[in-house]
Amino acid sequence: MKSKITCVGFYVPEGILNNDELAKIFPEWTAEKILSKTGIRSRHIASEDECASDLAEKAALALFYDNQIEPESIDFLILGTQSPDYLLPTTACILQNRLGMTTKCGAFDFNLGCSAYIYGLAMAKGLISANVAKKILLITAETYSKHINTLDKSTRTIFGDGAGATLIEVSESDGIGEFILGTDGRGWDKLIVPAGGMRHRNLALNSEEIVRDVGFARTMNDLYMDGPEIFIFTISTVPRLVEETLEKNGFSLDEIDLFVFHQANLFMLEQLRKAIKIPIEKFFVGLEEYGNTVSATIPIALANLSRNGKLKTGMKVMLVGFGVGLSWGATVIVW
Amino acid sequence: MTEKEKVYLLEEMFEADPDSLRSTTGLDSLNWDSMAFLSLIVLVNDNFGKKLTSQQIRSFKTIGDILAIME
Repeated sequence: MKSKITCVGFYVPEGILNNDELAKIFPEWTAEKILSKTGIRSRHIASEDECASDLAEKAALALFYDNQIEPESIDFLILGTQSPDYLLPTTACILQNRLGMTTKCGAFDFNLGCSAYIYGLAMAKGLISANVAKKILLITAETYSKHINTLDKSTRTIFGDGAGATLIEVSESDGIGEFILGTDGRGWDKLIVPAGGMRHRNLALNSEEIVRDVGFARTMNDLYMDGPEIFIFTISTVPRLVEETLEKNGFSLDEIDLFVFHQANLFMLEQLRKAIKIPIEKFFVGLEEYGNTVSATIPIALANLSRNGKLKTGMKVMLVGFGVGLSWGATVIVW
Repeated sequence: MTEKEKVYLLEEMFEADPDSLRSTTGLDSLNWDSMAFLSLIVLVNDNFGKKLTSQQIRSFKTIGDILAIME
């Protein structure tokens, strides 16, 4: 059974953290400097009582409304998130009910970050080709802001919250190509929230401040990111990933109409574009309003491109995800 | 690459005034932040084919420390 992406939608929370506010909290950088260095002007931030499931629900409802989709017609729901509402039950199960899907569908969460969308597509393609499902709703929803210490300038500057909702269905033509996936667990602690899982369960200890960086103290409950190491990993891994994905799909670089990379930060994207020699006009950059929404960056990009008429039927688009894990993946879709 | 050319690259990277950098110049007195780390990784990779590690970067204290690995 062949499959394709039918439509993509998204939702970002109403709360905004813009550069002017960041510059007030961290006066070493002006608002303009933040924009020029990171490519980010604002980030949407979930409110206190707004969780990943809420963003996911709104993204899905927008998708249903804009594309006349009946929730009862969907037979599988996959949710990619690293900030689920609960450790258990599965947030996707909660969503099945809230979205008005039938009880005859499968649903599960999976835990990946920046590479989640690619892995989600791979699983959807697999489920359809194995005749396990026919109409899959893939949602990637993230509220990294809830993992971030308010005094951590670098992560607060980069990350935003958001959710993407994608419908993947059985199709006559092959809309989702071959995948290259990869993992390197040596980088497990380069982007991490140390406490919150089963490994560190002493609540008092988890809340204690541990000095890890100049300028402020972090706790085990806070997101820690080794920016330079993640950067080194990305520039060493992604060019080869793109090359292998092209080869596996039987395309040359020129034959790809558009490249949509995980929107990590502008500097990193520019380095990658130059290293891989992708022409500027084929390289999507769109993190100015949203920041790095982790697993939602790619679907948000696709939804906006589609909305702006930039995605035409038949266009070959390479999607590339890379980051926390360390994990990476890429594929070529035909729109 | 001459010592002068190396210093020039660093002057550009740090947006420092011409001739203001010495071997002994402390990185704390410059824009030595997370963006500078990334710029330095690219600078060293592109000009010297060398891959810096995060540990090395965090050990640098002066311009001299950086110049020492630029070869």
